[in-house]
Amino acid sequence: MSRGKINFGFDRFSGLYVWALFIIVFGALRPDQFLSMDNVHLIASQQAIAAMLGLAILMPLACGAFDLSIGANVNLAAVLVTILQVRDGVPMVPAILITVAVGALIGIINGFIIVKLHVSSFIATLGMASIITAAQTIVTNNLEPTPVLSTTWTGLTQNTIFGFQAIFLYLLVLAVILWWVLEHMPIGRYIYAVGSNTEAARLSGLRVGKYTWISLIVSGAITSLAGVAYASLSGPSLTFGQALLLPAYAAAFLGSTQLKPGRFNVWGTVIAVYVLATGVQGIQYITSVQWLNDVFNGCALILAVSFAVWRQRAKVERGTIEEDSGGDSPISHAPGLGDGKHPDGAPSVGGTAVGAIRHEPSPDAG
Amino acid sequence: MKAGDPTGSAALTVSDVSKSFAGRPVLSDVSLSVSSGEVHALVGENGCGKSTLIKVLSGYHEPDGGEVRVAGLPLSLGSAKSSYQLGCRFVHQDLGLIDESSVIDNILMNTGFPTRLGTIRTGAARRTVAEDLQRAGLSIKPDVEVGSLSPAEKTGVAVAKALRPDPDSEAKLLVLDEPTATLPEGEVTRLLEMIRTVTANGIGVIYVTHRLGEVFDVADNVTVLRNGYKVATEKVSALTRPELINLMIGHELEEISQEREAIHLTHGEPTLKVGGIAGGPIKDISFTVRAGEVVGIAGITGSGAESLLSTIFGGAPRAAGSVEVNGAQVRAERPDRAMAAGMAYMPPDRKTAGGMLELSARENLTIGSLGPFSSPFWLRQASEKREVKGWFKDLNVQPPTGAENQLGTFSGGNQQKVLFAKWLRLKPSVFLLDEPTQGVDIGAKALLHRQLLAAGEEGMAIVVSSTDMDELVALCERVIVIRDGLIVADLRREEVSLSSISRNALGTQAGGSV
Ligand SMILES: Nc1ncnc2c1ncn2[C@@H]1O[C@H](COP(=O)(O)OP(=O)(O)OP(=O)(O)O)[C@@H](O)[C@H]1O
Ligand SMILES: [Mg+2]
Repeated sequence: MSRGKINFGFDRFSGLYVWALFIIVFGALRPDQFLSMDNVHLIASQQAIAAMLGLAILMPLACGAFDLSIGANVNLAAVLVTILQVRDGVPMVPAILITVAVGALIGIINGFIIVKLHVSSFIATLGMASIITAAQTIVTNNLEPTPVLSTTWTGLTQNTIFGFQAIFLYLLVLAVILWWVLEHMPIGRYIYAVGSNTEAARLSGLRVGKYTWISLIVSGAITSLAGVAYASLSGPSLTFGQALLLPAYAAAFLGSTQLKPGRFNVWGTVIAVYVLATGVQGIQYITSVQWLNDVFNGCALILAVSFAVWRQRAKVERGTIEEDSGGDSPISHAPGLGDGKHPDGAPSVGGTAVGAIRHEPSPDAG
Repeated sequence: MKAGDPTGSAALTVSDVSKSFAGRPVLSDVSLSVSSGEVHALVGENGCGKSTLIKVLSGYHEPDGGEVRVAGLPLSLGSAKSSYQLGCRFVHQDLGLIDESSVIDNILMNTGFPTRLGTIRTGAARRTVAEDLQRAGLSIKPDVEVGSLSPAEKTGVAVAKALRPDPDSEAKLLVLDEPTATLPEGEVTRLLEMIRTVTANGIGVIYVTHRLGEVFDVADNVTVLRNGYKVATEKVSALTRPELINLMIGHELEEISQEREAIHLTHGEPTLKVGGIAGGPIKDISFTVRAGEVVGIAGITGSGAESLLSTIFGGAPRAAGSVEVNGAQVRAERPDRAMAAGMAYMPPDRKTAGGMLELSARENLTIGSLGPFSSPFWLRQASEKREVKGWFKDLNVQPPTGAENQLGTFSGGNQQKVLFAKWLRLKPSVFLLDEPTQGVDIGAKALLHRQLLAAGEEGMAIVVSSTDMDELVALCERVIVIRDGLIVADLRREEVSLSSISRNALGTQAGGSV
């Protein structure tokens, strides 16, 4: 899409500005460590799993549904793909396929509960997460599985290409595919429509339940791919998954304030993940205090979102909303996590991001 | 503040208010003043800045310059709180109600709930809300969800909410932004009655409408805006309707009456057959529409007229009966099947059912069918943009270059045009429209009517449900009148008139022309 003019807007690109700031600050403080290619590669691959999960939940969020089962799902996938190979002797490729199929199946069940049983996606997937965790315990007996030792397996994600580990490349491929689907395929348009106003979408002839269902299956499948990648990269663990749930949502919501404010979007999410990762890494070079990372993550998230929300609100109030920005239109209300401002002082549905919280998909799949 | 003196003293003075959006001026040095007890009408074409001016008064928009005084006290610009405390009350174009909440919650949103020791006193809340509703002449239960109410009832709730007495801040100015866009005649009369009561208590009223008849009914003075400039403020008694229209659009307008006479529609085969449908207030309704026919649906609130088209299309549940399009049965509650069979349905409520306000106008316009520019794997946005541009031009959507802007940033009338295009471009064989020209200015209304009649000439079967009887009379050669869920009259050609429609709708002279 063509943009008529260069836009230095802090709201849409605040993430990039912060990123630049981190690089300058940490680069100045620890030039030899921070500004090295090794460091770039390290950050790129360390955060690839988190970024994949951020992308996994993008489609359900755009469609107005939450998938909270991804934490448990990614964990199960890592364990399952390992056990299948080590204990059951399944070759690598079938093991991966089975694992992804299980992930998709979880999505199918999630979709069934939400669309057919009319349970809110929040509750449905939260319950599902608990069931998946139980399933994992049954499969593993609560013993951490022995990692797969073959170098083909570890090489799957750890082989380097142009210095980057393969995992980072997978992430890019995934992002490009998802971006194409959401921005350049009819189904992406339908998904955003359902997330924006379910009733209007239904009256426009869209099978609302179908798109909700599809988006959950996609998130289930991508999540288990991320689990497979994790197992190959770091070996299986019984507990890593839940810790990734929050960062994934943080990235998706933070991403919805970037590039296309008010919309959950692929590149915004990827940027959000890496801005945070760069900051965390920089801090690690400066101090070894462990809790600083967590504090940093939390503060960065809150600050970045409130900054973007504040910019948006100020814009609306001063009425400098852009009329003609060519490609993507900025939104009139505070996006993402901000509260919309209604002429009447009543809350309003803000961007599609807020819409995600407000609209539950209406139950009518065929 | 001095009390008394109900008329004469200024309830509101607006001086030289300007406002632009991204360098595009929307209001330019607008001044206006409203006395206590005066009804001041504010009129002008779609997108001329009426709602923007009102949002300046409510503190939602901060103007680039100018001053606003309410009962002599300066409004702190851009502050909703200041606006409320000075005594401004609003019924906004989109009503500002929360559909998911009950009537009680909506009405008490501003003034707060009665509490004891921090706990909401549910009984007391229900009682005061019941009083508010009664004052607004509404007979609805305080506990129902606002989303389940008819447009007319929603407007009533918004008015009741605005007029709710607040001991801490006395109302000085009531602003109504197109409150009657979807109100049937009877309720318009009641609303105007209510406005007169309000002014008798010394409150100034600003009244925005596209139904010029109401200006002459209720207003003392009228201010006309054009492209953000004030054209004139006149005494209504010194104006004629053509003069007013001339002020609004800058030239004479051939008014829309009897456009249908210009075109002689030839009727083809029966296209839509509705057989004994029931659901909600609808008890048993059957009728047939032929290709090229333009049929109107009329009926008072609660008669079933307002949900008839939605039930036929599959938006609302259908309990019994059949719907047939071009000989093919259409299943209940399946808008997708209805569309595949060749039906299109434009819902009455832009905010909840018609528009996706956070998506761009382009995305709204094309969502009904992406077929012309897409394969499953590629949506060709360049050709999509080209088509949308064409529609913007055909329907004169303002701003003409705004296709990528969010639908919510368009003025009400322009949103309506975008949604009209959304359905018309599908070239359905049956086109059902609920309140198609709500909030659309008179010039644009004529334009949309011409588009409809041209479509009818090409063989589209058109059914229009409207609370605006003038519209039905102007557009339709046949009007079906619904009362108590049944058809009470099927008026044809010369039988179609304002009086015959309202007589049958109200049932004052039953069986008149069945
Ligand atoms: N938040 C916004 N961002 C950008 N443009 C806006 C915004 N709000 C309004 N506008 C523009 O300002 C102009 C005036 O809009 P406004 O809503 O005041 O018109 P109006 O007179 O109320 O029209 P209508 O009769 O259709 O309701 C329109 O062209 C609209 O597109
Ligand atoms: Mg308006």
